[in-house]
Amino acid sequence: MRQRVTFITKPADALDPDHVNIVDGTLSGPPISAIREDRLTFALDELPGGLQKILSESHELHIRWSSPTPSESVSPLLSRIPPGFHLFYTPRNASAAESESLCLALRNLFGDINCRTPKHSFTSLEQGRFSHATSSQYFQQLDSLAHFSDHVKKVFCLPDDAACIAELARLDDAASLDISYDTISHALKLTVTSPYKRQEMYITSTPGHRTEVGILAEDNPPNLEPYEIGISGLLAVLGQDSKASPTLFSFPSRHRQAQGAFDVRLLEPTGLHPTLQIRISSERPLEDSSCSPHAYFTLPRYIFPDKYQLSDDLFLASKNLTALRYISQPVDLEAPEYVMNLWGSAMLLELSPQPDHTLQKGWTAEVPLHLRYMSPNESGYRNKSIPYPAVFWACHAEEGTKFPTNPFERVNLGYDGLFGPRTVFFHVPAAPGLEKLQNTITIPVLDADKTGWVNTGTATAILLGFTWILWKLYVSYTQQNSKRPVTSKAAEEKKRK
Amino acid sequence: MASTKPPPPAARAHAQPLSRPQASSLISRFFSTPTPLYLSATLLRLILLLYGLHQDANSAIKYTDIDYLVFTDAARSVSRSHSPYDRETYRYTPLLAWLLLPTAWSTASPLGNAALFAFGKGVFAVADLVAGWLIERILISGVGDGGKGKGMDPATARKFAAIWLLNPMVATISTRGSSEGLLGVLVMALLWAVLSKRIPLAGLLLGFGVHFKIYPFIYAPAIVWWMDDERLGRPRTATADPQTVFEKVRRFITPARLDLALVSLGTFSSLNILMYTLYGTPFITHTYLHHVTRVDHRHNFSPYNIQLYLASATPASSGLRIESVAFIPQLLLSCVLIPLITAKADLATSMLAQTFAFVTFNKVCTSQYFLWYMVFLPLYLPRSSFLRNKRLGLAALLLWIAGQAAWLQQGYELEFLGTSTFVPGLWVSSLAFFLVNCWILGVIIGDVGK
Repeated sequence: MRQRVTFITKPADALDPDHVNIVDGTLSGPPISAIREDRLTFALDELPGGLQKILSESHELHIRWSSPTPSESVSPLLSRIPPGFHLFYTPRNASAAESESLCLALRNLFGDINCRTPKHSFTSLEQGRFSHATSSQYFQQLDSLAHFSDHVKKVFCLPDDAACIAELARLDDAASLDISYDTISHALKLTVTSPYKRQEMYITSTPGHRTEVGILAEDNPPNLEPYEIGISGLLAVLGQDSKASPTLFSFPSRHRQAQGAFDVRLLEPTGLHPTLQIRISSERPLEDSSCSPHAYFTLPRYIFPDKYQLSDDLFLASKNLTALRYISQPVDLEAPEYVMNLWGSAMLLELSPQPDHTLQKGWTAEVPLHLRYMSPNESGYRNKSIPYPAVFWACHAEEGTKFPTNPFERVNLGYDGLFGPRTVFFHVPAAPGLEKLQNTITIPVLDADKTGWVNTGTATAILLGFTWILWKLYVSYTQQNSKRPVTSKAAEEKKRK
Repeated sequence: MASTKPPPPAARAHAQPLSRPQASSLISRFFSTPTPLYLSATLLRLILLLYGLHQDANSAIKYTDIDYLVFTDAARSVSRSHSPYDRETYRYTPLLAWLLLPTAWSTASPLGNAALFAFGKGVFAVADLVAGWLIERILISGVGDGGKGKGMDPATARKFAAIWLLNPMVATISTRGSSEGLLGVLVMALLWAVLSKRIPLAGLLLGFGVHFKIYPFIYAPAIVWWMDDERLGRPRTATADPQTVFEKVRRFITPARLDLALVSLGTFSSLNILMYTLYGTPFITHTYLHHVTRVDHRHNFSPYNIQLYLASATPASSGLRIESVAFIPQLLLSCVLIPLITAKADLATSMLAQTFAFVTFNKVCTSQYFLWYMVFLPLYLPRSSFLRNKRLGLAALLLWIAGQAAWLQQGYELEFLGTSTFVPGLWVSSLAFFLVNCWILGVIIGDVGK
């Protein structure tokens, strides 16, 4: 196992190297305001047997979780995804795709993950367009990592190891979690980031394991290229270095921060065809005209977009949308929620370009969606939350720009694979002051308390109508019989003439 | 009305339109020759079509029906040598996509493209007009009148055909691009072929109709039952009444009936074999099996709707489930009892009653289905209690509209305001509408015996 702990501070809060002490493999210093990123890298054989088995059936497996509680992002940790549990998966073979073991393991680890098998519940991604995309995707709303935290505490800590338990308790208020595995590296990388907040600085290395610590902030080194992020700060390897050494480096990054903010609200009344309104005020990140605003949605199965509705240019323009760039397939346009196996649908919308003065002032785009019928309950209504989209400007970097892997690289986010390798994402932050990155919607359902009479009432009405018609048929039959000999003969006579 | 004093039997297709003494009034003059009626029916559709083009080009709210986009997408798919079933929710015969192939073509001018795109709507509108013309033919030839051979004079026939031809609901549905107009013309042509004893043509139309939209199979028993020697105008071969069951069956199987059965089955199966060869399982799944397996409970007029929603969402309970026996009253009425009791007396009214029963007792029912029986109204109304007793007629019309209006109001509250109106609102109004329909159907059936 290798461990890397990085404190990402804002440039103004950079730490004096003299305040950081390393004694006997333990680094300590004054508390700082920062995002703490913990990255653990495991070899396959260091993992519990059950997990090893799941991974051995995977070609690639990436979990991305993001908290619905908004938190400030600090460069270079700028990428954003819709809040919830995202999974990108390529099975090793067809039988792995039909096996329930992955979903069982996920349920075991994360709690309420209600997929069945990759084949039933995952949507398949276009393959071959951009090589780094996995073959399938799964998403589910998951508000906290509490279940995961409890599970790993049980697996990794002895019951009386308070330090271990305290260490892992950081998962409880994590802002994001990434787990990545692929067969080429044969290693599992787990990355947890905390929200930006005041952090204690006390890191102890585990004997026999390499532990790197960094205390870094964005900087402007000379000769910084466009699309590059500069970083400076302190680095140390515990158990090896006796003093943290200053560092200054830069790397190209596909994820950047845009100015401004966005938020999302539901237009009232929502009915069965709700409209999400995205309000954005964000200036164009580059002078370049290649930048266009996008919104990437992961929508749980109870709510869905209709790609056919989103294909008419006039309709799109009236909603301030340019085009539906991607929608996961298939999307059943008719099925009720309770018969669906697929998780839902992912959608990338390009929003209409706006003139500069509108960009500053703020503008809105509307996303028409549709609700499925849901199972009845006692109140006649169900409350559900719709996760916020990731909103960003996608800009094309100049010809020749390369984006090699960087130490804070994050790939397989759902939307990155839908763009070319030279696209740079300028993320628009969610508006400050939001409580959750989701909207609550009330969905009308059949009121189970009032359905006592439905079966009897329906049957009675059908029988009543049916009997009335039978009676009229009987009357008609007897009337015809009493008249028949005269009329039919007469008609026949007429015809023969 | 025609029922009290039948017009002279001399009024045949070739006869000159009769000019009655009261033909001075504007309405009578309107119907005295075919031109004003067909011209205004054409104009009505043309205006709606052009208005639709205008609205589609300038507004985000479209005049064109969503189904039409499904058809044209499927036509585009076919034009690229793909399967029409590549388009989700395409649940029709590939023939429809083929028919609409011109909508997939494009020209250099946007106007030309708009015209090509509207091609299918044009076809549906023309189908409406032809159905109207067939209605007029059937009324004039009089064989629709219980086979009693009393023809209607052309002006009165056109007056009744106008119920279909000038009906704004019919014209709107076809110009919005719904294919129900095609069914109208198919079914009218079928009735006309049967009444004019063109048996092979009738078989062809029946087989084609069932391939196209399934439900016309309900007409098969009525037509077969109707086609006895007496009605086909053939001399009876034996005078003595049959004694044994075997003899009865043998006499029932006439060459004409065999003819109809063989031609219709042949048409139906060869079309299906052809489509299956071309498009494989998706053809069977989407065109036919979908209707058996569908679990789409979006609210509709069917009395079973709420019950189906409830049943599909709750795990199977013990005991009899209504939805699994729902087909019994529906098929018993539309395929067995109504044809047996009414077809020989009045084939057109039997077909109306069968369609009405099929739609009313169906597990899914939308307003487009109403067109299936509306096409028969001009044939039935001249001899109906609804016209003889104006108060009864008005009551039926008002109740039929009120039933829908109540349901639509509840549907609006659910769909657009998000109020949970499933029970009692939608449920009660759908049952009320169902009972109104049953009452109307009872009156229609009662008229056959009079």
